[in-house]
Amino acid sequence: MIRLQNVTKIYHPDIKALNKVNLHIRPGEFVSIVGQSGTGKTTLVKTLIGEEKVSGGKVIVGGWDITRIGQSEIPVLRRQIGVVFQDFKLLPKKTLFENVSFALQVCGYPVKKIKSIVPQVMKIVGLEGKMNRYPQEVSGGEQQRTVIARSLVHRPKILLADEPTGNLDSINTNEIIDLLLKINKFGTTVVLVTHNREVVNQLRKRVITVENGIIVSDQAVGKYVL
Amino acid sequence: MFIVSFLRVIKFSIQDIARNIWLSIATIMILILALFSVNMLLTVDLVSKAAIESIRNKIDVNLYINPSADENAILALKAEISNINQVKDVTYISKDEAMNIFQQRHQNNPEILEALRELGENPLTPALVIKPKNIDQYDSLINALNAIDNPIIQSRNFEDHKALLEKVNNISHKVSEAGLIISGIFILITLLVVYNAIRVAIYTHRKEIGIMRLVGASNWFVRAPFLFSSVIYAFIGVLAIILIFYPFLSLLQPYLEAFFIDYQINLISFFNSHFLYIFGLEFLGAVAINGIASLIAVGKYSRV
Repeated sequence: MIRLQNVTKIYHPDIKALNKVNLHIRPGEFVSIVGQSGTGKTTLVKTLIGEEKVSGGKVIVGGWDITRIGQSEIPVLRRQIGVVFQDFKLLPKKTLFENVSFALQVCGYPVKKIKSIVPQVMKIVGLEGKMNRYPQEVSGGEQQRTVIARSLVHRPKILLADEPTGNLDSINTNEIIDLLLKINKFGTTVVLVTHNREVVNQLRKRVITVENGIIVSDQAVGKYVL
Repeated sequence: MFIVSFLRVIKFSIQDIARNIWLSIATIMILILALFSVNMLLTVDLVSKAAIESIRNKIDVNLYINPSADENAILALKAEISNINQVKDVTYISKDEAMNIFQQRHQNNPEILEALRELGENPLTPALVIKPKNIDQYDSLINALNAIDNPIIQSRNFEDHKALLEKVNNISHKVSEAGLIISGIFILITLLVVYNAIRVAIYTHRKEIGIMRLVGASNWFVRAPFLFSSVIYAFIGVLAIILIFYPFLSLLQPYLEAFFIDYQINLISFFNSHFLYIFGLEFLGAVAINGIASLIAVGKYSRV
C-alpha cells in the first residue's frame, strides 16, 4: 500500500528531515509512527500527500510512484488519502454537515450524492445527531470526529492521522482512537503519527519509531520505546 | 459534473466579493475611472475629427474676376481650373449672386444694407470659388492657380487655411496623447488594485483554500472563483460606465451642437451605432487586465 525506498528529505541549507528511510505498510494495516517533535514524522506525512517533494529515493502509494508527481495529479492523490491533523481545520461559519459536504462540493459532487454520503459518514463517526451544529458548539473530540468524517467522504484506502489527539483530553483521545480502529476494521489502512505513549502502548499494533529522520525501530506489535 | 463545479465557482466567487465588499467597491470604482478615461479619449478623438472635417469643408480658394469680364471668358477660365488635378469643384458666383449672398449674410445689419443702397450700384465682383480635393495638396493647388496668367483675374484670396488646420490637428494630437497617458495610468492603477483585491480575498480565504487542497480540490477549482471575480468586476464596471457615460454625453451634446453649427455631430448616435464594438471591446479589455492581475495574484498567493 505504502512503500518508501531510500527516501531522503533535505531542507535548506542542510537539514536532513528524512535520511534514507525504507518502509513498507501493507493494505489494511494499523501503523503508529512515533518519535519526539522535530524527528521527521510530519515530513513523512507531507511526502505521502504530495505536499513535500523528496530530495532522494522513491515514494509509492497504492502502486503509484508519487516521487515526481505533477501539480495536476496531486488532487487525485489526495482523494485517495484521508488526512487528519492536530488542528481541526474546520470552517467556523459552516455547520458540521456543511464542513463535511465541503470536501465533496469542491470536488464537483452533485447535491444528491452529497446528501446521501454525508449522513452515512456522520453516522460512522457518531455525529448523526449534531450535523446542524457549528464547530464552536461541539467538543474538541467531536470536532476531530467531524474532520475524520470529512476525510472519509472520498472512501480513501489510506487514512493519515497526524497527532489527531494532540489537542484532546484522555476521554476524547480514547474515542478518537476507537474510531480509527473502527475505520481500520472496515479495511482502511491507518497511519497514526503520535507521541502519545499511552495510546501507542494500548493499541498493541505495529509501531515505527523515528529519530533524527531515521527509522530506529519497527516492531509488529510494539510499544513506545523512546 | 463540470456544470455543477462551474455553478459552485460562481457561488464562491460571489461570496468572495460579498465578504470583501468595500474592497470590491474600490476595485470597481477604479475600473470605472479607467473606463471613463478611455471613453473620454474616444469622445475627444471623435470631436477633434469632426472639428477637422468641419474646417476641411470650409476651406476654399477664391479668384475674383474683373466685373467687365466676358461671361464666356469666365466659363473658359472655370473649365481650365476644373482640369487642375488638385481641384475638387469650381463654382462660379456671378456679380448678382454675390450681391444676394452678401445681403443674406448681412440681413440683420441695416447700416451695411443702407450703405449698399447709397452706393447705388453693385460694388461686388464675380468670383470663382475653388474647393481643393485634398487639403494636403493645398500648396501645389495655390502654385497651380498662381501659374494661371489670365487678364480677367482681378485678385486672388489665398488665406492660409492650412496653418489653421495644422493647429487643430496639433491640439487634437496633444489632447489624445494626454488622454492616452491618463488612460494608461488608470489601467496601471486598475492592475494594481485588482491584484491587491484578489490577494486580500485569497488571504481572507486561506483556511478554506488549505482545506480545499487537502481534500483534493483541483487547482482549477481553487483558482477559478478568484478569476471569475475579476470577470464580475469587469462586467459591473462596464455596466456602470454605460449608465454613467450616456447621461454625460447627453449633457455634452447641446454644447457640441452649438459649437459645430454647420456640421452634424451626434455622439449619442455614434455610441449607439457602435455600442457592441465599443463596450464589448472595453469589457474584453477589462477582463484581460483584471485576468492578468488575478492570474499573477492567484499564482503567487493561492499556494496555501
